[in-house]
Amino acid sequence: MRRSLVAAGIVLGKELRDALRDRRTLLTVLVSAVLMGPLVLFAISGLIGSLESRAEQREVYLSGLMRAPTLRNYLERQTYVAREAPSDFEAQLRRSTFHDPVVVIPEDFEAALVRGDVPVVEIVSDSANQRSEASTARIERLLGGFSRERALLSLALRGVSAQILEPMQVEDRDLASTQTRATRITGMLPYFVMMAVLYGALNAALDTTAGERERGSLEPLLMNPTERWALVAGKWGAVACVSVLIAVLSCFSFLPGQWVLRSDTLQAMFQYGPREAALFILLLLPLAAALAAVLMAVAIRSRTFKEAQASSTLVVLAISLLPLVNVFDLGGEAPWHLWAPALAQNMLMTRVLKGEALELSQVLIPLGVCAVLTAFGVWYVARQLHQAAVK
Amino acid sequence: MIEVRSLAKSFAVPARSSGSAGLRSLWSRAGASAAASKAPRRIHAVVDVNFDAPDGCITGLLGPNGAGKTTTLRMLAALIAPDAGTMRVDGIDVVARPGDVLARMGVLSDARGLYPRLTARENIVYYGALHGMARDAAEARAEELARMFEMMPLLDRRAAGFSQGERMKTALCRALVHDPANIVLDEPTNGLDVLATRALRESLRWLRTPAGGSKCIVFSTHIMQEVERLCDGVVVVAHGRTVATGTVDELLAKTDERDFEEAFVKLAFAADRAGAEAAA
Repeated sequence: MRRSLVAAGIVLGKELRDALRDRRTLLTVLVSAVLMGPLVLFAISGLIGSLESRAEQREVYLSGLMRAPTLRNYLERQTYVAREAPSDFEAQLRRSTFHDPVVVIPEDFEAALVRGDVPVVEIVSDSANQRSEASTARIERLLGGFSRERALLSLALRGVSAQILEPMQVEDRDLASTQTRATRITGMLPYFVMMAVLYGALNAALDTTAGERERGSLEPLLMNPTERWALVAGKWGAVACVSVLIAVLSCFSFLPGQWVLRSDTLQAMFQYGPREAALFILLLLPLAAALAAVLMAVAIRSRTFKEAQASSTLVVLAISLLPLVNVFDLGGEAPWHLWAPALAQNMLMTRVLKGEALELSQVLIPLGVCAVLTAFGVWYVARQLHQAAVK
Repeated sequence: MIEVRSLAKSFAVPARSSGSAGLRSLWSRAGASAAASKAPRRIHAVVDVNFDAPDGCITGLLGPNGAGKTTTLRMLAALIAPDAGTMRVDGIDVVARPGDVLARMGVLSDARGLYPRLTARENIVYYGALHGMARDAAEARAEELARMFEMMPLLDRRAAGFSQGERMKTALCRALVHDPANIVLDEPTNGLDVLATRALRESLRWLRTPAGGSKCIVFSTHIMQEVERLCDGVVVVAHGRTVATGTVDELLAKTDERDFEEAFVKLAFAADRAGAEAAA
């Protein structure tokens, strides 16, 4: 037993050295998996930053500004600047070269107001132009305020109390903490970390199994007096280590990633420190172990690296798509999510980001699932090893 | 000392129906029953192989392509289990105690892939470590073997750019790193140039001497010259059976030939010829 453990350690050392010398592959994984997250974070912060600065500018664009002096007066009293929209605003909105919704004032706006008719005012935006869409609600609120003011004035002139119009008062109370709100934006962070784990494991897993078959080095390896399970355990350990290494780099890459956040609000909301990074890594360890074993089990049946890449597509696809259930919030959180690898880790990491406490059962279920997957994968590879070597 | 008795191994080959029959079987019950009636074919790779390879001797396993040499050697290396027969290495049963057998045997198999990102030295020392050698001992042994096979300049180069001959030498050093008492080589001169072949021959000759450790060497090949020049005993294998054993001179006398190639053809293809004559 002790000899087998030593042998597993020797295989682990060799496989790690082999994997770390594959610089080109490592570099590709690092660039795609580790840099991608902070880059996306940077892009999101840029978008939010521009939305914030647009809100701070307090500008409203109207088509036919001269036709609505009363509305302009109201807007200016709300400390907004009313501007005339460009004549081709519709085309510009469609092309996304203009980023504000436009209020279209009809010809006889003022006259209709005086007569007590109800003039129709259009707010023109393009739902494909996300920035213009984001400001629409603000403009609607402003115009609503104008309508209410007009109504109140009319009622006051007739000696009617303004409260008749508002028999009840509605107030918002948001239960979400600052962190919870932030996860609406930073919710994709766990997804990127998980992709780092997946792609970290992928190449190493394929290389130690199908790659070894393709090179013709599996047969001589099995002619050593080492137990099969020791060989497989060493290989699996190395793949899991590489995967965890990439995961660690990815998790910590978000720490300096925060410094580049352009939006102050996002920076204030984004609570991701060394504690969160460490929790992420702890949650990802079982996933890395399970992915290493499952990918090896899939790849051992393939004669070549290329064939193994094709067969592992299903695993890659499942791990890539499952967390999207969380990201897109399809049907909210369900108990079965904890039983699905990748989805469970995504859910738990999101909780960490929200600043919520993790319950023991929530951690134990995914841990158990990953342990079963790991054991099955390692057992299957050990079983297939001899057959794979001679076929 | 290697003893092989009545060794047999067959493989199942899945029956392949024609494309249209396959399609039909997807849709109809008739097709399915037709496919089921085709039993998987069995290929008898090894039927009855027997030989003794004593210590201090080079035993040549000679046979045409597909004779069952590689399958026999794979069974000897405990890579595949035999259907019948026994194999003993230094008196130890291969099937019962494969680990003990592999510890006493160095095998250069048909597949001899190296790890391209490791140096020749690392490739060799890795196997030494798997055989339970201490790192220093494995390093020293790697250098000793590199000197023997004249590959010192290669030792610290990564295997990625090696020529076929260089790969072969490294694989050979790797198989011999633990100084095994029994050496099994499957067509070791494949891809070697004349000088390298000569060097290998010299090394094997030395290894069988008492100074070299009186190793038991089993050497599979289909090249007559090698057998004539190197082997103390010859085992001729054809169609999965041992058809003749003896020294080169004994086999020449047995077939009444002066040319060993002619003698081999007579021995290995006698059954084929008899069959063809009977059919005629």
